[in-house]
Amino acid sequence: MTALVRYLLADLVRSQRYLPVVIAFLAVLGVLYSGDPGDPVSAYAGSCVMVYPIAAWFAVVVATAEDPVQRTVTAVTAGGWGRLQVGVAGLATLGAVTLSVLGAVAPVLISGHPYGPVEVAIGLGAHLSCSFTGTAVGLLVSRPVINRIGWTAVAAMGIVVITFPLKRMPPVGAVLGLLSDRDVGHALPVLAGSGALAAVLLVVATAVSRFAARRS
Amino acid sequence: MITVERVSKRYGRGAPVLSEVDLTLEPGVTVITGGNGSGKSTLLRIVSGTTAPTSGRVGGVPKPVGYVPERFPAGMRLSTDDYLRHMAAIRRLPTDVARARAAELLARLAFHGESTAPMATLSKGNTQKVAIAQALLAEPALLVLDEPWSGLDDAAAVVLGELLGEAVDGGAVALVTDHLGHARRLPGACLVQLRAGVLQPGAAPNSLVSIELDRAADHLDLLRAMPGVVRATAAGTRVSAVAAREHSDGLLAEALRLGCSVRGVRLQSGAAR
Repeated sequence: MTALVRYLLADLVRSQRYLPVVIAFLAVLGVLYSGDPGDPVSAYAGSCVMVYPIAAWFAVVVATAEDPVQRTVTAVTAGGWGRLQVGVAGLATLGAVTLSVLGAVAPVLISGHPYGPVEVAIGLGAHLSCSFTGTAVGLLVSRPVINRIGWTAVAAMGIVVITFPLKRMPPVGAVLGLLSDRDVGHALPVLAGSGALAAVLLVVATAVSRFAARRS
Repeated sequence: MITVERVSKRYGRGAPVLSEVDLTLEPGVTVITGGNGSGKSTLLRIVSGTTAPTSGRVGGVPKPVGYVPERFPAGMRLSTDDYLRHMAAIRRLPTDVARARAAELLARLAFHGESTAPMATLSKGNTQKVAIAQALLAEPALLVLDEPWSGLDDAAAVVLGELLGEAVDGGAVALVTDHLGHARRLPGACLVQLRAGVLQPGAAPNSLVSIELDRAADHLDLLRAMPGVVRATAAGTRVSAVAAREHSDGLLAEALRLGCSVRGVRLQSGAAR
């Protein structure tokens, strides 16, 4: 499985399609923290809102990086669509973790406010919940589930826009509520619950993509 | 042995591409013949596991599987060396074994490209050689090759036949489509015909015809190059040829046109395998 993820990563790096995603997120972080972001915990809400669609975008890029025919060869080489889609989900998740670490560490480096380990840990947990949810959305709306990139974009934006107003709903709404309320006391149960739900969504999305790949 | 049982496939709400295909694949080369759109590639995709049948099942598929698609993508970003190294790693081959095997395959196929440049810069023939090499890296137990001879030069076409022969001698099942006539000349090749997604009955076991010709030795090379000719040998002025049944009429007509005399025509029952 490591060999498969490394191959997908090498191909992705050559494609350069990861670059717009990373640049977009770095631009968001720059805008958020170059001024005075205010309270450390609630400041994370801004980048958590953005890491959700950006992680979805990255997952779409990973899912569609290879030519479709090339991907069938990779699937046979990997021993079937099940393993291949686990590899795709694995690389997309690695990207989500990278974006989350960037989001959690950026204010420590950029903003003038003092950040303690508890705030950074809450920020990292919050980013992971939101970015994993985004990864699941990205896997659900891209090839092989939706084969045309235009419909992929429409579906991804649709899901993100519809799920944002769901206040207090895990995984994303509950995390954003926690951050804006600065409810540090309830951070652990909220983040653990939302994180677990996001992980379940990821597994479901991977299973759906495997099923769709075999049918196409 | 691979069993294909009552396999049907339709894409979306379209007409069925395959209808109730029953087939058993033994170790050896099985050639799927049929016109464009007869369902050959779909059958290969189903046996290789890249797509699931709408109904029916495929059982007994051995591992590992090597697959060459009908059209290997031309725009690959990795270099030949990197691509084959990654494919071998995914197949869990030790690095030194993988490097030696890749070098051997590329050398035998006379790959003449820049192996460190992106594969997108390779010619069609060289790309096809890389496609064949990746399928043969790990000594597959099942080889699924969709028009693998397309784009290959004559020398590489012969080498591919040898590579297939070696895989089959090692006990592999090879399922091949080929409209250039190379596959049916392979020793022991079994022909199976598809027409509009339906397997044609009786096509497999009685598919070869042996033809005895007189005054034909001068035309031996010409006869050997005819489509569907499995083998042709000369003895004195006589030539004994074995050809696929669907090409035997064409061969006879050409032989008569060349001034040969037909001494005998015989159906080789069960001789395909």
